[in-house]
Amino acid sequence: MLRVAIFVLALALPAWIGLSLLVVLGRARYDRGQEVRVGDLRSHEAARLIQRGRGRPRTDWGRWRRVAALARLARAHHPAASQLLHPALADPDPRIASAAIRSLGDLGDGWAIDILISALRDGSAPRSRIAAQLERLAPVPGPRFVPLLRHPHPAVRFWAATLLGPYPELGRESLIALTWDSDPNVRAAAVETLGSRSGNAVGAATLARLDDPAWFVRVHAARAAGHVVGAEAAPSITPLLADRQWWVRTAAKDALRGMGSDAVPALLAVLGHPDAFARNGAAEVLQDVGFVDTLAFEQPSSPLLERIYEAGGERLREAAQSRAARHASRRTERAA
Amino acid sequence: MTGDILGIVVLVCLAYLLLTTFVYVALVVVGAIESTVRRQESRSEDYATLASSRFTIPVSVIAAAYDEEPVIVSTVETLLAFDYPEHEVIVVNDGSSDGTLERLREVYELEPYEVFVRRVFESADVRAIYRSAIHPNLIVVDKANGGKADAWNAGLNVARYRYVCGVDADTLFDPKALLKGMRLVVQDPGRVIGVTSHLNTAREPERAIAAPPGRRPIDFKPLIAFQHLDFVRAFFNNRIAWSRLRFMLCSPGAFQIWRRDVLEEVGGYSRSFTCEDIEVTFRIHERFLREGRDYEILCLTDNVATTEGPDTIRKLVSQRERWQRVINETVWHYRRMWFNPRYKAVGMLGAPFYLITEVLAPVFELFAIAALGLSLALGLFDPLTFAVMLVAIAFTNAALTASAVLFDDLQSRTYRKRDLARLLLLAPLDLVLYRPIIFWARVKGSWRFLCGDKAWHKFERNTREAPV
Repeated sequence: MLRVAIFVLALALPAWIGLSLLVVLGRARYDRGQEVRVGDLRSHEAARLIQRGRGRPRTDWGRWRRVAALARLARAHHPAASQLLHPALADPDPRIASAAIRSLGDLGDGWAIDILISALRDGSAPRSRIAAQLERLAPVPGPRFVPLLRHPHPAVRFWAATLLGPYPELGRESLIALTWDSDPNVRAAAVETLGSRSGNAVGAATLARLDDPAWFVRVHAARAAGHVVGAEAAPSITPLLADRQWWVRTAAKDALRGMGSDAVPALLAVLGHPDAFARNGAAEVLQDVGFVDTLAFEQPSSPLLERIYEAGGERLREAAQSRAARHASRRTERAA
Repeated sequence: MTGDILGIVVLVCLAYLLLTTFVYVALVVVGAIESTVRRQESRSEDYATLASSRFTIPVSVIAAAYDEEPVIVSTVETLLAFDYPEHEVIVVNDGSSDGTLERLREVYELEPYEVFVRRVFESADVRAIYRSAIHPNLIVVDKANGGKADAWNAGLNVARYRYVCGVDADTLFDPKALLKGMRLVVQDPGRVIGVTSHLNTAREPERAIAAPPGRRPIDFKPLIAFQHLDFVRAFFNNRIAWSRLRFMLCSPGAFQIWRRDVLEEVGGYSRSFTCEDIEVTFRIHERFLREGRDYEILCLTDNVATTEGPDTIRKLVSQRERWQRVINETVWHYRRMWFNPRYKAVGMLGAPFYLITEVLAPVFELFAIAALGLSLALGLFDPLTFAVMLVAIAFTNAALTASAVLFDDLQSRTYRKRDLARLLLLAPLDLVLYRPIIFWARVKGSWRFLCGDKAWHKFERNTREAPV
């Protein structure tokens, strides 16, 4: 037993010493490295990085060395970067593809945008990652998204519609047409993007999708109609307070809340709705836009306020009365 | 006869020790590979784009608070300061008996509002919901006391977003914690259903987190420094390896990201266990593996938070005996998964690992101490052999600890060089100064588990020297 113990100790002690030295010396080296400024790529270093960037490593470690090499070449704007990054986008390892996407985004040149858009079209790399980089490069790539709205693949139409969000002047007619697309994801994206636009045709398109069979299209339609049409859309949005999907009801509340006091007439009409969700939702929005507080402070015994309390329940009443009391005490303090 | 029995007991215990050491060394190797990959991945991640992109998935952060008056504001400040495109912070006051709610009300100008929420998860009665007049993304739920699981369930009902991040109200977070946690979710939200990451411990987290990176002090009060080493070891030698081997069985309550619909499917956090975090992780694995679904629950290497570690032996024992109890409860409850190939790595590696290295550890340790003590007293065991064995075990542990410290430092570069050196020098003393306390806590926890005790003993907050 003593021999076993000595054998274990003979392994463990050097291991502890070795690892401890590695920690302390490694850290010291890192701290020194931080102080040295990284200069331009020297030719022999570039050659080594190009070789690594071209490789097809099998181990995880090798793959990350390749990622690091690609990123370093791209940061240095080395001419070989474009040749290496394009094929890397189609690499079966998603980590290599993601690193290539990021490097292209960092470069942001015209050719980098072309490569990213072509990858978005082909689906050779994760589209959400490409989209994040393309959005970062706004406004340059904007006009190149418009032709993609007519692409046969729904995922491409979806991303094109989504990416056009920050470009209010582009693709309006095509986006309106896409609100009738056969793919619900594309309809949702088109409606969401139209939410940041204006005009009668846009408003009509968003209102038309309030009764879409796909619930997530209704979610975006409610929000978009609230933005584009404003308070005039309130009577069309209030029926969504009784929607069977919680997300749609929430979106409807958000849209109505965003209209402020202009939504009040439409909300008051919902207080007698047979659906409890709709009544609760209307009372909640009336509270959030400040209507309940105004009534509770100025006309606490108003029959209308009582109707809202009936629709919203006891807790709505308690919360409103507590706020009104605080408001009154603050006003008294200020007056004093 | 006595000598034979003692000899057999000592041999069995030694065999157990060798087995567990072998398992831990194997996990260190796997953990080293995983740490390297995750570190590289994290370095090549485009955090700037992620932090500003509208395609980054919004998250509801839920903090359950019970009697957290001294720390609640510091915690909420770090949660509100997350560098993330869209997140809401839901603080659930779980019927605190101190001034937690009043403190929040005062600092964040809370006003009561009625919010009609989905009542999908069971929870005790919600008394009121407050919104902050100065932070539109802060919601405070005041409810009757029902325990942490109950509080998180109440928070889940209010949560608006598809991903939720459960946090402890006594933990302070790195501004990039959410971004770091969500980076892999964003890449594959269909598969990545849960994420946790590396946490640290400190006597006063607010002091530790206030220091700039690279100069963060480690509290060298012995109990805290040993807990620090314990946390580093637990994450870098174990959890990271479990994550790679696909049996990440414990997303700690201090920082756990889940897809909300997954929690909805499994019925939220269970209120019938002493603690909820490990149980919910087991339950989700069980459900997904039983149904043959493709999923991942990950543990990342990024240091995302610093949690308060108890600064007295009494408080530490109270905390660790609870941890032991909940491990026993959970492993026993999911005993159908032990060595069951239907549950893949979780059934064949994860659950047995917990059984052997956590549940049975106090039993073997107890037998080993008794048998060695008796053998030494009866002169059946050579004291020199015993001493050499002890030193060998101490340095084996120290080597495992040094490996964890190495990967922690490679990942974070957070601590000062001299602090790292001191930590490494402390490592061999862990066996004689820290382990006995943990051993006692584990024995106590196992005993209480056998007695059916499910009480949740919250440890008192550490006293602060001066505000930071």
